[in-house]
Amino acid sequence: MAFKLRLNPITIRRLKRFRAIKRGFYAFLALCVASIGSLGLELVANSRALIVSYDGSLSFPTYGGVKLGSAYGLEGDAANTPVNYRELRERFRNEGKGNWVLMPLVEYNPNENNSYEGILRATAPSWDRGHYLGTDTTGRDVLARLLYGFRIAIFFALAFSILVYAIGILIGCLMGYFGGWFDLIAQRFIEIWSNIPFLYTVIIVFSILPLSLGLFSRVTVLLLALVAFSWVGLTYYMRTAAYKEKARDYTQAAIALGASPLRVVFRHILPNSLATIVTFLPFMVASAITSVTALDFLGFGFPPPTPSMGELLKQGTDNLSTAPWIVTAAFISLVLILTLVTFVGEAIREAFDPKKFTLYQ
Amino acid sequence: MNREATGESDYLLEVEDLKVHFPVRSGVFARARNWCKAVDGISIRIRSGETYGLVGESGCGKSTLGKAICKLLKPTSGKIRFDGFDLTSASRKEMQPYRRDIQFIFQDPAESLNSRFSVREIFEEPFVIHKMGDSAERSRKVNALLDKVGLPRSSADRFPFEFSGGQRQRIGIARAIALEPKLIVCDEPVSALDVSVQSQILNLLMDIQSEMGLSYMFIAHDLAVVRVISDRIGVMYLGNIVEEASATELFTNPLHEYTKALISAIPIPDPTFQGERVLLRGDVPSPIDPPPGCAFARRSPIEVSEEVASQPSEYIQASEGHWVEVHPATVRNYDEPKAHPRPTVNPLAEPPEAPNPKLGGL
Ligand SMILES: Nc1ncnc2c1ncn2[C@@H]1O[C@H](COP(=O)(O)OP(=O)(O)O)[C@@H](O)[C@H]1O
Ligand SMILES: [Mg+2]
Repeated sequence: MAFKLRLNPITIRRLKRFRAIKRGFYAFLALCVASIGSLGLELVANSRALIVSYDGSLSFPTYGGVKLGSAYGLEGDAANTPVNYRELRERFRNEGKGNWVLMPLVEYNPNENNSYEGILRATAPSWDRGHYLGTDTTGRDVLARLLYGFRIAIFFALAFSILVYAIGILIGCLMGYFGGWFDLIAQRFIEIWSNIPFLYTVIIVFSILPLSLGLFSRVTVLLLALVAFSWVGLTYYMRTAAYKEKARDYTQAAIALGASPLRVVFRHILPNSLATIVTFLPFMVASAITSVTALDFLGFGFPPPTPSMGELLKQGTDNLSTAPWIVTAAFISLVLILTLVTFVGEAIREAFDPKKFTLYQ
Repeated sequence: MNREATGESDYLLEVEDLKVHFPVRSGVFARARNWCKAVDGISIRIRSGETYGLVGESGCGKSTLGKAICKLLKPTSGKIRFDGFDLTSASRKEMQPYRRDIQFIFQDPAESLNSRFSVREIFEEPFVIHKMGDSAERSRKVNALLDKVGLPRSSADRFPFEFSGGQRQRIGIARAIALEPKLIVCDEPVSALDVSVQSQILNLLMDIQSEMGLSYMFIAHDLAVVRVISDRIGVMYLGNIVEEASATELFTNPLHEYTKALISAIPIPDPTFQGERVLLRGDVPSPIDPPPGCAFARRSPIEVSEEVASQPSEYIQASEGHWVEVHPATVRNYDEPKAHPRPTVNPLAEPPEAPNPKLGGL
């Protein structure tokens, strides 16, 4: 049975009120634009060019396979190595044959080590070199790492929230709807489960993971580990909500008509308790971002060289006096993201406040 | 199973010694349990096309009985037979055809409608659940239901909060009759409504009954309302039926002091009326740990000693189809019914008399 989120008058009124809360609504728009926009991040921060005009024909190297130097008439060693588009741009400019290269806003990719004066080291922000927020200790562009780090964090947080909601709602609903022995066993399990210390478990899990494991599997393990320790909170709310809604007359009427438990849960109980549950979503996203940042800071988060705010914070605090720009940039962006998410959370909570919808006769 | 084949009984609904006890936790320790005996051994029978009125103070277990009949609650013990089929042990699958036959109308119409559903969705749900008709047929049925309960067809795409209390109750009634049930339990369907709307809803219920030939179990805390609509009336006190008779018999010849108290509480617009007001002492005792013996004895205007009060009462047939709980504290001339030879204490042994013609309006 499909679960449809219906736009009934109550929902419409809630959404209208959400729109009316300017701060939260604009924060929501900003986050949406940033998240959806980050899908095309390769067009904003990349060491590959956006457009290359060579011998009168245009090429767009951003996506697709790596191009070798021979494609643009390079000779010698450069012909058989991947093109360095920044060098290619200089070369074309010096040649003056009308060929040109258009680079993205940030000309570096997040994992690229750029030596400065022959050594890899942190360099201060420089407009001329295109490192707008400087480089980190191994010469990687801080802005590029922050942007890619944001993309990973936000989608990780969304995936995390979806999983937590799915598990929390399912188990909470079952507990509240069926009650009885299932409820009892689940409650005892949750009590034990929520007493297992999260950080130690993650550290242990990561120390026994084989190093050969690929990046994707490691991120998946991290996601599942976080989810495993986070679904519990939602079950409390969902259990109570399901229990309460089941006892209400409209649900009883559906049961008297012969509605199946599935129908009762998905058509009646869930839509009516979603309003309270949805208000937790932004705070869950915020806590997921904080958690991965903290784990990254401790070195148990995303495997290197994944760009992340936590990893930058770590580097930044280690090199506080020599490279203060790293910690400044990472700190400001983390605060900015969390503030925006919190604004959205506040607005949703305010707009969805069930007290505002009590009907008095 | 062929339902017609099993329906050998005269009665549509037979409830036999039904008990619904709720566990009540007392104190911090969940083990220490008391029981709230909301329904404590009730037997009733309802014929096809008949209206059975159930009255009693609030908290005496009326809703609990009604919900148990609709299988919205699991009975502790006893039997519920519908059309001869035992519902008490039926699984959800076996219940499914009977879900169409037994429906419930709730006291609070606002609570009984899902606020996220439009009227159309509310009306279509029964057909969707029982996989009846295609969408064209369903929307025809939605219109037919709106006509039947006297709501404009334009209501179909509105939401419950856009209606008044009376209109919402009409929606609740329409949903209950959508599947053409044989029995509807009406749980105080008018007591949450304005007095001006109450008689409209009662008339609607009576019109529907004469048109569709269904039976009602009509619950109210107020005898005046029940009197209008019922053929037989059962008076309930603290989880038990204390008196049951046809509507006319009950009003002309009430035996139980509790019934007399309820009747005397009905406001009578006739200034020449000479009746005396029967007053009860104290409050309704709690169904949790009720006092021993006769539950009513300590409130009866007939004062008896504690020793007499703690003796059990009997449920007897005083005259054809007129059943009453006898105890020194419940009936005047206590010895009198004892003088007659009376049948064994089983209210289901003999059929009560045929349904009475209805009494006039409110
Ligand atoms: N689900 C329940 N759990 C525990 N006690 C209940 C429950 N439902 C009803 N009761 C108790 O049963 C008694 C009868 O309730 P009810 O049937 O609603 O009375 P009425 O409808 O006559 O007002 C009351 O004392 C009430 O507190
Ligand atoms: Mg009630």
